[in-house]
Amino acid sequence: MNQLGQALGRMGRLALWAVAVIVVGIGSSAAAGAEPAFEDPAARTRTTVLPNGLTVLTLEDPSTPVVSFQIWVDVGSGDEARWTGLAHLFEHMMFRGSKHLPPEAHQTILEQRGARLNAFTSRDVTVYFADVTRENLPLVIELEAERLRFLDVSEDSLASEREVVIEERRFRTESNPEGKLFEQLLALVFQAHPYRVPTIGWKSDLEKMGVAECRAFFDDYYAANNLVIAIAGDFDTDETLALIEEHLGPLRSRPDVPRNPTEEPEQQGERRAIVHFDVRAPTLAMAWHAPPGGHPDAEALDVMSSILSNGRTSRLYRRLVHEEPIALGASASYWELERAGLVYGFVSLRPGVRIEHAEKVFLEELEALRAAPPSAAELEKAQRALEVALIGGLGTSHALASRLGREWLAFGRIRPLQERLDAIQRVTALDVQRVAQTYLRPDKRTVLHLVPRPEEGS
Amino acid sequence: MSRLHALVSLLASLALGVGCSSLPHFGGSAPHAWDLAPPPVQDRPVVDATRLHRRTLANGLVVIILEDRRLPRLDMGVMVRRGAAIVPASEAGLADFTAELMGRGAGQRDALELASAVDALGASLAVSAGWDTMSAGVGGLSRDRELLFEVLADVVLRPRFDGDEVDRVRAEQLAALEKAREDPKTLAAWNFAAALNPGHPYQWPTSGRPETVEKLGAPQARAFHQRVFVPANAIFYAVGDLDPGALMTQVERAYAGWPSGPVPAPGPEPPDRTGRNIVVVDRPDLGQAQIVVGHPGITRLEPRRIPIQVMNTVLGSAGFSSRLMSKIRAEEGLTYGVFSRFAGRRLRGPFVVGTFTRVPEVGRVIELTLAELERIRSEPPSEQELAAVKSLLVGRFALGLETSSAVLSGLVELDAQGLPADSLDTYRGRIRALQLEQTAAAARDFVRPDDALIVVVGPAETLVPQLEPFGPVRVVQP
Repeated sequence: MNQLGQALGRMGRLALWAVAVIVVGIGSSAAAGAEPAFEDPAARTRTTVLPNGLTVLTLEDPSTPVVSFQIWVDVGSGDEARWTGLAHLFEHMMFRGSKHLPPEAHQTILEQRGARLNAFTSRDVTVYFADVTRENLPLVIELEAERLRFLDVSEDSLASEREVVIEERRFRTESNPEGKLFEQLLALVFQAHPYRVPTIGWKSDLEKMGVAECRAFFDDYYAANNLVIAIAGDFDTDETLALIEEHLGPLRSRPDVPRNPTEEPEQQGERRAIVHFDVRAPTLAMAWHAPPGGHPDAEALDVMSSILSNGRTSRLYRRLVHEEPIALGASASYWELERAGLVYGFVSLRPGVRIEHAEKVFLEELEALRAAPPSAAELEKAQRALEVALIGGLGTSHALASRLGREWLAFGRIRPLQERLDAIQRVTALDVQRVAQTYLRPDKRTVLHLVPRPEEGS
Repeated sequence: MSRLHALVSLLASLALGVGCSSLPHFGGSAPHAWDLAPPPVQDRPVVDATRLHRRTLANGLVVIILEDRRLPRLDMGVMVRRGAAIVPASEAGLADFTAELMGRGAGQRDALELASAVDALGASLAVSAGWDTMSAGVGGLSRDRELLFEVLADVVLRPRFDGDEVDRVRAEQLAALEKAREDPKTLAAWNFAAALNPGHPYQWPTSGRPETVEKLGAPQARAFHQRVFVPANAIFYAVGDLDPGALMTQVERAYAGWPSGPVPAPGPEPPDRTGRNIVVVDRPDLGQAQIVVGHPGITRLEPRRIPIQVMNTVLGSAGFSSRLMSKIRAEEGLTYGVFSRFAGRRLRGPFVVGTFTRVPEVGRVIELTLAELERIRSEPPSEQELAAVKSLLVGRFALGLETSSAVLSGLVELDAQGLPADSLDTYRGRIRALQLEQTAAAARDFVRPDDALIVVVGPAETLVPQLEPFGPVRVVQP
C-alpha cells in the first residue's frame, strides 16, 4: 500500500502534524541494500501463545534505545455490520477511561514519560502502539491490560468523542478534495464488499451510534484470541512475557468472532461518476479490482506500479508532468488489502487543463504497458527500488514491530525478507505485461472526475 | 551518565510520581504501575564519540560524518546556512525555484539523465529550501557511494539551470501555487503570514507568489546559487555505512576548488505588532473553519528558548496532555487537534496556535484559546505540570536518538543555526535544571493574547458576527 493510500485508508487518533518532534529528518529518504549482507532481524522473532489464545511476537534488539509495543486487533471497518465507523470510533473510546482510570489518563501517563503513542484503524485492522524507553515497558503492559479488561464506555465520554470524530471526518473528507475523492472512489469500485464503506464512517451513523453498540463491538472483537501483541527493540523477553502472562493472561477469549461474508461480484462494464468540490483544478481518479495481499501476482503488480509511478523517470511522471504540462503529479499504484485489492490511479491536474484530455493521456500510458513488456532497464530499476524500500523499513523498532503484527494478521506468519526479495527478483517483463493485461481492462475500470461546482443556473 | 544527571533524574522522577498518584481513583487495592514512581531513566549518550567525525576545511566548509554500519545504506548532503529569508519580496519564491532547478540537471547530466542515474540505483536525490537553509541530499545503498558522491557534488557545485528546465520549473511552481489555494489549512497559514509580516520576506510563502514567480529565470537562480552556495556558508554531512577517513579525503578533494565568497547577511528582522486584529478568508463552501491565532515569537537563538519550550509544551505541544488539547478536544469535543508552537527560525518567527472546528463553534474555540493564552500567564505551569513536562521532554528526546540519521540531522541543524555543538549533550541537563519562575516569566514575556492576530478560513457571513466581539474584523478573498 503506497503512502497516499495509507494516509487516506487509515484513520488515526491524531494527525501527526500536531505532534512536536525534537529532531527533524534530513531531506533524502532512507535507503538500503538490495542484496543483504546482513541477517533479517525478524528471523529472531519468538512466538508465544498464551492459554487464552493471545499471540505474542517478541524481537529483542539491545542496540536501539527504544522498545515498540503494539497491539494488533484483527478488526477493521471491513468487519462492521450495521454501524459504519464503529471500529474507528471505538478505537477512540479505548482512550476514554476504564475502571481505575479516568478519560485520557492512559495517554497522559505515558506521554508524561516521553512515550510516542497513538492508534489507527484501517479496513482490516486496529492498532495501538506505544514507543517507549525500556524502563517504561511494564507500565505500558499494565495500562493495556487495564483497558482491555476494564474498559468503561460511558454516555458522557461517547458524546464528546463522537464530536471529535465528526470533526476528524470534516477535516479529512468533507474539507479535503483528495479525501473526498478517495471515499467516493472506494464507494463506487466496491458495490457489495464492506471495503466500500469509509473507515471513518458515514456521518449519520456517527451521530446516532450509542454506548450499547460500542460495548457489543468490544465483546465481539477485543478478545484474547483476536489480538496479536508485537514487541521489538530494547527489552528483556522472559521478563516481558511473564508480565504479559500476569496481566493479559486473564483476558477472555471468544471462539466465534463474527465476520462479514460478503464478497465483491465481478464488475460488468466501466463505471463513472462526477464529484463536485470547491477546487482550483480537477483531479482524476481511477480504480481496477486486483487480488488481495499474498497473491502470486502481488509482486508483479508492485513492479508495474513502480514502473508507472516511482520517480522522475517513471512513465506517468515523464509523460504527464515532464513532457506535457498536464499534471502536478500522476500515479497508479497497487493497494493490497487482506480480502481484496485495487490498482488505483490519481492525476492532479494543472489549472486550465481539460480532464478529458488528462484521462486520454493517462490511459494511453496504461495501454502502452498492456501492449508491450517494459524494457530490461525499467524492470531492473523497479525491482531495485522495491528491494531498497523493503530493507529501508528495518531501521526502527517501530517499523519492525509493525511488520511483525501486520504479517501475522495477514498471513499467519512473518514472511522472511529473502523470500520477499526473491519474489521481486523473479518478476519478468512478461509478468508485468500480463498483470497489466489481466487487471487494467477498459471494461473493468472505475473512473471519477472531481471538478469545480458548476456556476449557478448553468 | 554523570552523577549530576542521575541525581536530577531521580528528583524529577519522584516529583512525577507525586503527579501521577494525584490522578482520581475509583477503587482497587493493589498498587498499579501508574501509582508508583517511575524507575530512574538511563541517560544514553547522544552519540558514540568514536563514530562522530568533525572537521573544518581550509575553505571554511564544515564536515560532519557519523558512521553507523548496522545497515548497508548511506545518506549524504550539503546544507548552506541561508535560505528564503534573504530573498527580497520582489523575488519571492526564488529559493524554492533555485533548489528545484539544482536537482534538474548538473555536471554532464541533463534533468532526465540525472534522474535516470539516481532512479537506476533505487536511490533518492532531494534539493530543498527553507527560511534559513538550503540543502541537497542523496541517499541509497552504500555500495553505490561513488556515484552518489559524484551526483551530490555535481548538484551542489555544477547545477546547469538549462533553459527548458527553467521554463518547466516556473510553470510547475505557478500551477502548484494556484492549486495550493484550494486547501483551507494552507490558506490560513498564508494569510496569517501575510498579515503578520508586511514588507518582510516572511510575508509570502517560500514558494513565492504568482506575480514574482512569473519573472524568475535562469540568471536569478544562478546568481542566488552563487551567493548562498559558498564553502564558508556550508556543511557537508554524511551518515551510515561509510569509511570516515576515506570519505573525509574524498570531500577535501572534491570541494577544494569550490569558489569562495562572502557569507550573505542574515536578512532584516520582521516587524513587531501590537493590538488585536482578525482576518476572515471567505470560503462560503466550508463547514469546518481553519483557525490560526498568533503573534511574533522568538528567534532560534533566543537565550530563554528552553523555558519557553517547556512553557509551550504545557500550553499546547504535549500531545494529548497539553492544556489546549485537554480543554478544547478532550473536555469540549470541539476539535480533532489543537497545538501551539514557537517557530525556530534565525530571525524572529511567529508563535502560533493552530486548530479547526465546525463553523458555528468558531467563536467558542477562539474564546477558549484566548482564555488559555491568558491562563498560562496568570496561572503559569505548576510544580506538578513542570515535573511532568520535564519528564515528557527528556523521554521524548531519548526516543529521538534511535536512528543515526536523526542524531546527525540534529547536529547539522545546530551548526546551521549557529548554536553550540554540544547542545544535544547538554539538553537533558538544561531541561531538568529549570525552575518554576523561569517558565512563569517565559509565559508573561512571550505569550501576548492582547496582540493576537486571528485568521479564520470559512464562510464570512456566519463567521464575522461570531468574531466581532474579539476585535476588528477584515474579510479577504482566498
